[in-house]
Amino acid sequence: MTRGTNAGGVTRYLRVYTVLSQALAQGDIGAGEALPSEPSLVHQYGVSRTTVRRALERLAAERSIVKRKGSGTFARNKIVRAASTRQTAAILDDPRNLATNTTVRVLEFKNTPAPEFLQREWPEFGPTVLTIRKVRYVDRKPVVLVTNYVPEEVGRQLTQRRLGNDTCLGALDKLGFHGASAEQEAGAVTADPFAARHLGIRVGAPVLNLKSLARDSRDRILRYANYLYRPDRYEIHTVVERDRPHRGHYTQSL
Amino acid sequence: MAPTTVHRPSKSKLSRENGSLRPPRNVRGVARYYFLYEHLSGALNDGTIHAGGALPSEPDLATRYKLSRTTVRRALARLEEEGRIVRHQGRGTYARQSYKPPALHLNLQDFFKELPALASRTASSVLRFEIGPTPPALRELQPQLAPHALIVQRLHRFRGTPFALSTAYVPERIGERVPREAFDQSSLLTVLDQLGRRTTKTEYTTTAVAADVVAAKRLNVQLGAPLLRNRAVLFSAGGVQAVVDSVCRPDRFNIRAALERSPLRNSRSQWRLKRS
Repeated sequence: MTRGTNAGGVTRYLRVYTVLSQALAQGDIGAGEALPSEPSLVHQYGVSRTTVRRALERLAAERSIVKRKGSGTFARNKIVRAASTRQTAAILDDPRNLATNTTVRVLEFKNTPAPEFLQREWPEFGPTVLTIRKVRYVDRKPVVLVTNYVPEEVGRQLTQRRLGNDTCLGALDKLGFHGASAEQEAGAVTADPFAARHLGIRVGAPVLNLKSLARDSRDRILRYANYLYRPDRYEIHTVVERDRPHRGHYTQSL
Repeated sequence: MAPTTVHRPSKSKLSRENGSLRPPRNVRGVARYYFLYEHLSGALNDGTIHAGGALPSEPDLATRYKLSRTTVRRALARLEEEGRIVRHQGRGTYARQSYKPPALHLNLQDFFKELPALASRTASSVLRFEIGPTPPALRELQPQLAPHALIVQRLHRFRGTPFALSTAYVPERIGERVPREAFDQSSLLTVLDQLGRRTTKTEYTTTAVAADVVAAKRLNVQLGAPLLRNRAVLFSAGGVQAVVDSVCRPDRFNIRAALERSPLRNSRSQWRLKRS
């Protein structure tokens, strides 16, 4: 990071905090292990001592680290991040679990003009789409914010009640629109204020972004979805078998 | 609802939510202009403001979001710097281009063909090649890994620009047979194949992380910028034979998958990778 700029829009202290907090959560700095000294953090990050102190203060306030006078700063709690991420992912990935072990908050369910990019990429969508935006929670903690766009024709019989706790594709399946194929693309973005608020993270935090287009067996588009996952609570898990490709699997439930 | 083609983003078009977006006033550590920047950036990315389309005027933005002109100018200046908008004196501000998907992808359904192909299309430089301790956090997840591993860190470039930083951990007993030059042009998959250690299965995990100091420097992004993080666990008939962690620039590389509905009604997951 260049000294003297906060061109990221996020102040230096917050970026140092984010990166240190991630290193602690991932176990890069293990439980009980010492953090680099203040002068060495100043050097590593190219920021002032005050900035480093602010970041450390916030970590101490969150009880992620403990400062011991004279001997340094140490990682406090043991966070087995990957294990809990996997547990959350396993709940979310099992379609039988969705109805019972997750909760949903619908933020939007209405016909809207199709966004420009949809009309441009897939004119088949037509001018109007059913937009469904919701947050899914596991153990009352937000995991994913998803925006679905369903062609008007396909979504006609879909109601908020019929959707219930189901995924959009799951609900469409019950109405006779059976998904047969899907194309997916995974990337990373920063949380905008809207996503940050609904996922309970800070603005600018990294978010796993999955875009998915599903079609039926006659190649008709059923829905386009944009998922924003909290990366500390979800990861996409795929198994690819070399000699028996049909045995490989993709775990996400659509 | 009447079909509409919007050339000038109206208040409702710009908002992702019912009503208008109100940038929170005081969020610790986040500059105020950043909220507007993020908001406009999102609208440009998802096509809400399409290529060539006009952005609201500076005074409009200032009134709508209750921000000072200086704050609005900072947000627009950053978008301009990034080459995403053009500002014409007296005529307004226009979207330059819409979202362009990154140039490189890895299609998971063809992983075993695409990974070697990707390695030959791109260039890599070996930054680190040594036997060292396997990180404890990694051993916790993959107890089969030995305490020491050959660690190979590489920076991957496409047309001269870095797009991924990868770190491979190969158990010492396998790693000590691998020459450094083997990694100049080949994927780890190919290197292991040539050693007679055929990979039969890969478990691939994808998530997002904030760029740490090393990744930010190597990939030429800001500290804390979002990166795609992938972990590939390679299995041979005998078990785990290597783990490769990589962080990638999402604007240059992403992960794709073509899926089909599984015919097995009771399978845990209803979707599986499409057969090639």
